[in-house]
Amino acid sequence: MGPYLKSEKDTSTIMRHLIVALIPIVVFAYIKNGIIPFVKGYTNIFGMFYPLIFIFICMASTFFFESLYRIIFQKKKIKEALENSYSFFPGLFLGLILPINTPIVLLILAAFVSSIIAKMLFGGFGNNIFNPALVGRLFIISAYAIVIGKSGGYLNSYEIDTISSGTPLTNASLINGIGTYNTLVKPYGSLMNFFIGTIPGCVGETSALLCLLAFVYLTYFKAIKWKIPIFYILTVFSITYVIGGMNNLGIWYPLFQIFSGGLMFGAVFMATDPVTSPVTPIGQILYGIFLGILTVVFRFLTPFPEGVLTSILTMNMFVMILDKIGSIARFNFKVTVVPFVIAWFLIFGLGIGISLNLKNVKKDKNFSILEKNVSGSKISYVVTQKGYSSVIKARIVIDNKKVYEFTVLEQNDSFYQKIMDEDYTNKLILDSDIDTVTGATVTSTALKTMLKNTLEDYGE
Amino acid sequence: MITGLKIPGRKGLSIKNKIGIYNKMKYVYIPLISGGDTDITVAVKKGDYVYKGSVIGKRKGNLRIPIHSSVSGTVVDYEEKFVSNGQKVKCVVIENDFLDAIENEYENNDLTKYTKKEFIKTIQECGIVGLGGSGFPTYVKYNTDQKIKTLIVNAVECEPYITADYVLVREKCDEILETIDAIREINDIDEAIIAIKSHNTGLKEVIDNYIGTYLKLKLVLVPNIYPMGWEKSLVKFIKKTDYQRLPIEKGIVVSNVSTIYAIYEALKYKKPLTERIVTFTGENLKRPQNVMVKMGTSASEIIKKVGGIDNKDALYIAGGPMMGKGIPTDDIIINCNDNCILVLDNYSLDIETTCLRCGKCVEKCPAKLSPVLIGESLDKVDRLKKLQPTRCIECGLCSYICPAKINVREKVRKAKEILRKEG
Repeated sequence: MGPYLKSEKDTSTIMRHLIVALIPIVVFAYIKNGIIPFVKGYTNIFGMFYPLIFIFICMASTFFFESLYRIIFQKKKIKEALENSYSFFPGLFLGLILPINTPIVLLILAAFVSSIIAKMLFGGFGNNIFNPALVGRLFIISAYAIVIGKSGGYLNSYEIDTISSGTPLTNASLINGIGTYNTLVKPYGSLMNFFIGTIPGCVGETSALLCLLAFVYLTYFKAIKWKIPIFYILTVFSITYVIGGMNNLGIWYPLFQIFSGGLMFGAVFMATDPVTSPVTPIGQILYGIFLGILTVVFRFLTPFPEGVLTSILTMNMFVMILDKIGSIARFNFKVTVVPFVIAWFLIFGLGIGISLNLKNVKKDKNFSILEKNVSGSKISYVVTQKGYSSVIKARIVIDNKKVYEFTVLEQNDSFYQKIMDEDYTNKLILDSDIDTVTGATVTSTALKTMLKNTLEDYGE
Repeated sequence: MITGLKIPGRKGLSIKNKIGIYNKMKYVYIPLISGGDTDITVAVKKGDYVYKGSVIGKRKGNLRIPIHSSVSGTVVDYEEKFVSNGQKVKCVVIENDFLDAIENEYENNDLTKYTKKEFIKTIQECGIVGLGGSGFPTYVKYNTDQKIKTLIVNAVECEPYITADYVLVREKCDEILETIDAIREINDIDEAIIAIKSHNTGLKEVIDNYIGTYLKLKLVLVPNIYPMGWEKSLVKFIKKTDYQRLPIEKGIVVSNVSTIYAIYEALKYKKPLTERIVTFTGENLKRPQNVMVKMGTSASEIIKKVGGIDNKDALYIAGGPMMGKGIPTDDIIINCNDNCILVLDNYSLDIETTCLRCGKCVEKCPAKLSPVLIGESLDKVDRLKKLQPTRCIECGLCSYICPAKINVREKVRKAKEILRKEG
């Protein structure tokens, strides 16, 4: 039975290319989390090698669990069970997508979940629906978030000392409104740091540059489904470009979004896992687009800022449907109209919807800043806020987040005397959360909001 | 976009040598089969003397086309012999008298003098069938009321190892171009195109030498990918158009270049189709070569003539390595749809491993199927129908490319079979 001519490339060729593409990423993880903290004196010699030990433990664990499973349940001979060379792969990925401070016991637990529950119980390599490494990660990150957080979270020993604000996306989610270059990017250096990967994040997923190089390499050797990362990243870029544009932020904003949160790593290595992604070209394109949409939804509309890996696990469930569309689309392109229209609608709808949402959070229409004089850390504002029957104008001076002066310059509110009687503005200086004045609720609320809005502006 | 893949050509084995001729067989076995149809009326009986070119059978039904004797001699017997599709077929055994006697002298006609009616009649009587592998009667293609706008002559030969068309064009270029132009003239076709692969620069030079005289004839170079010679890909690449069943829907007729040469001999000399060029090649063959073979010759005799095999443990394939069929013995009878006998070492096939769903079979399928999904849905008929495995042209690219070494084409064939049974 023919054909009698077969391509020389086989599964191991693909796996070899994958390993080659991952080597620089592992080396980078080692330099960033081991060598740099060691050289700067933040860790000892053990700490220097710890990233490699960390990754090795994950690989050895998945290898061990899978081999054990084969020996016990599939009655394989030991040699046969060990020969399956891909059993360390989920471990390798797991080691790269977990926070460096994950306790070793949890690493082994994650490896167990990955190889036994997410892979072998589904029927082994080729039959699993969900990406094993991601299932393992999701399990321990959601069940043991506090344990991991207490032992240091995502920041390595050097970063804990130099950076005060967690990972870029955690930081972004804490800011009211959309944030600015100074609040989003500055704390970590510049966009270049994001591109190279010297920002806090999971062990091996921070370098956008190395992920891009790996993508080029793997695409050249036809070892990955290249359409998925392209459409994934483009979608996130497009939506955040709209969001950035509507908030008058520069091109740095969508770049910040695609360089953070392990998006590049997830797109290139995790979303393209052949077993758990679509096989049809249209299926792959839709998969990428909807991954992008989901990631943006997770980042902006849920309390879970790192949405990449969750999006991939979610989309894993839709692979069969996407392939159904993709296989019919090969003869009849019309079936793709509906999903693509939905996708376009979501891309622009989300972009616009999220920006309007963010604007509302940020901008109080009744508040405006007339003057803003900066001298060192001290800022003197002249601001207005709509009161009960007039617009209240006031001077507010803030230094080091502390309010020094709050003087009402102009007002024509009916019940203002009550405010005067209560000395409400001075009370606000001492406690910006103090209760409003009875009999002049609207005016006192306006003053309170005015101060809050000014403090917010100072915060940025 | 044309889907396909660059695969190893392996044509160097046989491409340089001149076309050999083999005439020394004591017996020829004319298979009573035409285009897969074995319902043939036999016109001779044991003891009859036949000339070279005498009609010894005729296909029944609509597509009436005669089968001719390829030698002169005496009908001695009927015998069942293997032909390339793996079937045993009843053959008329003729003892060769080595005289090559013919009943009527060959004519020497002017190709352009034919009317369309005479043209159709001549190629029908001469038993011309598609020599590209289909074995479909050629006259039917031209015998249409529809206006033929374009004639595409397929000299792409994308299947690895095979060089039969290549050497034919190299050595009979003038005759071939003359015939194409005559067919164009006779059938009032607007343009005629001959397609070869872009990397065959040697062949391009040969054609360029002759083509200048034929103003309405054009040479088109097609990409060096497999299966570029598939009619649908060829029409899509050259005319940028798709058709459903047959190219005539778009006013296009595609003929293989060897068929054109057979038409040449039919028009010029009224010579019936009794011989063809067959590539004998493969790493296990001592002297790979193209040979002009008389229909009904056993492949084993020619393999001996080209030096025999190197390694006793040989694998015989009728056709190329991609679409060809493995045959149990080298004693098969060459007929008009055989363009190659490939002899390889009997290597053990790769062990199939688990499908990793890389999607390469989907990406590369020229018929736009999703082979991996078809393979997964063999037990679900409804799903299978939507995946349309019946479109498969069995080019074998899915099996070629599969990194898990799964014989994907076999699964698609199975799916076709299931749907055929379902009706």
